Amino acid sequence: MHDPHPVRLTVEDDYRRSRVTVFFRLLLAIPHLIWFFLWTLLIIVTGIANWLISIFTGKPPGALHRLMCNYIRYQAHLTAYLALVANPYPGFAGGAGEYPIDIELPAEPVAQRRWTILIRIVLGIPALIVSAALAGSTGGNVSAGGGSGRKSRGFNGGGALLFVCAVLGWFASLARGRMPKGLRDAGAYAIGYSAQTAAYVLLVADRYPNADPTEMLLAVIDRPPRHPVRVVGDPYDLRRSRLTVFFRILLALPHLIWLVLWSIAVFFAAIAQWFVTLFRGTPAGGLHRFLASFVRYRLHVYAYLMLVGNPFPGFTGAAGTYPLDLEVGGPERQNRWKTGFRIFLAIPAFLVSAALGGALFASAVLTWFYAILKGSAPWGLRNLSAYALRYDAQNQAYLLLLTDAYPHASPLEGEDAPVA
Amino acid sequence: MTRGRAALLLAFGAVWTVAAWLLWRSSLPAYHLPYLDEHVLFPAHALQRAQHYSSVEDLFWLAKTITQLVVLGFFARYGVRWTRESAAGPIGTGMLLGMIGFALVWAAELPFAVLDVWWRHRYGLSGSYVQATVGNWFALGAQFVLLCVALAIVMGLARARGMGDRWWLPTAPVFVGLRILLAFVTPWLLGGSAFHAPYVAALERTEHVRVPVRVLSGFSEPNAFATGLGASRRVFLWKPIVEPPFAPRMDRFVLAHELGHLAHNHIWKSIGWYALFAFPLAFALAVATQRRGGMGVAAAVPLAILVYVVVQLVELPLQNVVTRHLEAEADWSALRATHDPAAGRQLFRLFASQTLEDPNPPGWDYVFLQNHPTLLQRIEMTRHYARDAP
Repeated sequence: MHDPHPVRLTVEDDYRRSRVTVFFRLLLAIPHLIWFFLWTLLIIVTGIANWLISIFTGKPPGALHRLMCNYIRYQAHLTAYLALVANPYPGFAGGAGEYPIDIELPAEPVAQRRWTILIRIVLGIPALIVSAALAGSTGGNVSAGGGSGRKSRGFNGGGALLFVCAVLGWFASLARGRMPKGLRDAGAYAIGYSAQTAAYVLLVADRYPNADPTEMLLAVIDRPPRHPVRVVGDPYDLRRSRLTVFFRILLALPHLIWLVLWSIAVFFAAIAQWFVTLFRGTPAGGLHRFLASFVRYRLHVYAYLMLVGNPFPGFTGAAGTYPLDLEVGGPERQNRWKTGFRIFLAIPAFLVSAALGGALFASAVLTWFYAILKGSAPWGLRNLSAYALRYDAQNQAYLLLLTDAYPHASPLEGEDAPVA
Repeated sequence: MTRGRAALLLAFGAVWTVAAWLLWRSSLPAYHLPYLDEHVLFPAHALQRAQHYSSVEDLFWLAKTITQLVVLGFFARYGVRWTRESAAGPIGTGMLLGMIGFALVWAAELPFAVLDVWWRHRYGLSGSYVQATVGNWFALGAQFVLLCVALAIVMGLARARGMGDRWWLPTAPVFVGLRILLAFVTPWLLGGSAFHAPYVAALERTEHVRVPVRVLSGFSEPNAFATGLGASRRVFLWKPIVEPPFAPRMDRFVLAHELGHLAHNHIWKSIGWYALFAFPLAFALAVATQRRGGMGVAAAVPLAILVYVVVQLVELPLQNVVTRHLEAEADWSALRATHDPAAGRQLFRLFASQTLEDPNPPGWDYVFLQNHPTLLQRIEMTRHYARDAP
């Protein structure tokens, strides 16, 4: 276990959403967006000053540190409100502990190595890339240069994950008056990572952002229910062969071709399985095993391609053969309505999966450079990628009728419901 | 070696020889080429330019080949350690090892590819650094795929129940089958635009071959080739050869040469030769990898790649003899079809200035690198035709 990150996400949200404020959320946020724009202009100026002073003193002045902290917190509050990760209307000051989605930041300025301050914006580029993939810029706001907030884009939807969570969450909240846990957790994770990135770039902390979703959501107590399709394996398998990493795309080519060929057979098998499940209520055993092997194989190949796993995978999708593996239960009775409309029901999950795919791609590119240099995968990015792959596998399993349990978007692993 | 095995080997050798003799037969007349002096045929500066360019190109080839052998030698010795990077079964692991071997060779040869482009630029020839590096990267990917297919077949057969160490016997025919399939399919995939010239129909009548003639763009050097089997037979002309300074007379000669390949079933003959070389190659692989448990074991793959490359290198002079023979027959066929030895002579002289090919390369170059008769030999043939042909 690592030392806890000095910038921590706290989540005290109860999932309840006011339908009225959800419906008008964007309009209600207009005063905040104007205020945020003005605040960002201030941060651009003070950020540069903060950076210049810090280069000489080795740590930011107290007043500027507090200003940056409030800005980061306010940005998190506002983003959470816009993305429906939280319900109440946020305050305008970015005060600590006043919002269900909050960011704990170092109370006092932290002494930092001067050379890292000097090149902070360069060092922050990988984190900014991941942050952009998760939440758009950093939390939708800071794209800083030289320790200064240089540009505000507001909540621009550039971060596919947060944007998709917000859009899907809008419909769900209007329908049910509650935000689905998976979308809420995924959104909170994106906001938390963006806050860590902003804190790093704005010199509030010198610890690099940690992309590990589980550590980010440590404050979330309630776990999602255990999903019948689970990713298992050895998360500490971080060693990477530099040679195979360098040639990874090419080495994966035979697998990708095999995957395409296999997909053709799977297409017809899935149609057959759909009819069987629709009429019998239970999938056919043989087809279930075939489709499960395909989903598992797909996970192995993507894990290899995206550098989540190190060894070259086998071609059969056999269980227990890869460090990142898939557990799939046997064929079980499924709801006929869910079976009949499976393709349409899977559309939201596909959107989330596509959004996570962007983060997965960014993570793979960054891991490639890291692994070439260090011969290992970074813990946080590895777990972010594993999260994306797990969701993709659950989505595939849902579509291919391995289960009728909907993929859960929460980065947290599920646990068994307590016995009553 | 038991007496039975020796007899079997002898019989196999006899069959091989007879098959080789049958494939060797051609329409080429028995002839003695008149001796020509390249210094008379080519301007001194052009000759010196071509010779200097080719001599350094030869050095590149030599350095690349030695590098390749050294890298594969090390890989054969130490490559097994990469098995730990695989969670696949024996065949999948074998594929990984094979790809890593190719990747290492690719990386080791990269400087030579870049140097080669630099050398070509010095002589005003085309060449792209991007193509030599990034483009090569994609070519490596295609090689990986083909390698994996090949290893899946070889290792699959080697691991097949009851096959034992005789896996090489069915393997060679499988690869011949694939070669036939590839030869049949490839022309459909190449595309190109239709080539129209007034002499095409007449040539087709003379050569008794009627096939589509197509022009491929995207090439910077003059060249042409015939390919395909049955309905897929095609002649492809690279665009520079149908453009100035190549005159229509020369294009007519080129087209007649390519139609000559098809008229004399050279594609089928090439496949026949491929089959003849495939059996000894597969046998050599089987013998060489026995000590590592045979081709069914992943650990044998690094050694197998080295053996494959060495055997190919040993076979290269023989293969060049065969292809030179086929090319000479196609040249002869073109001379008979066009009755225009002067066009052939001009064409070959132009080749020397356009491609900087040495008209009369050194002996080792001729043995290892020349899969066509030398330009001087080809010009000599045109003289022979002009002098002796009916």
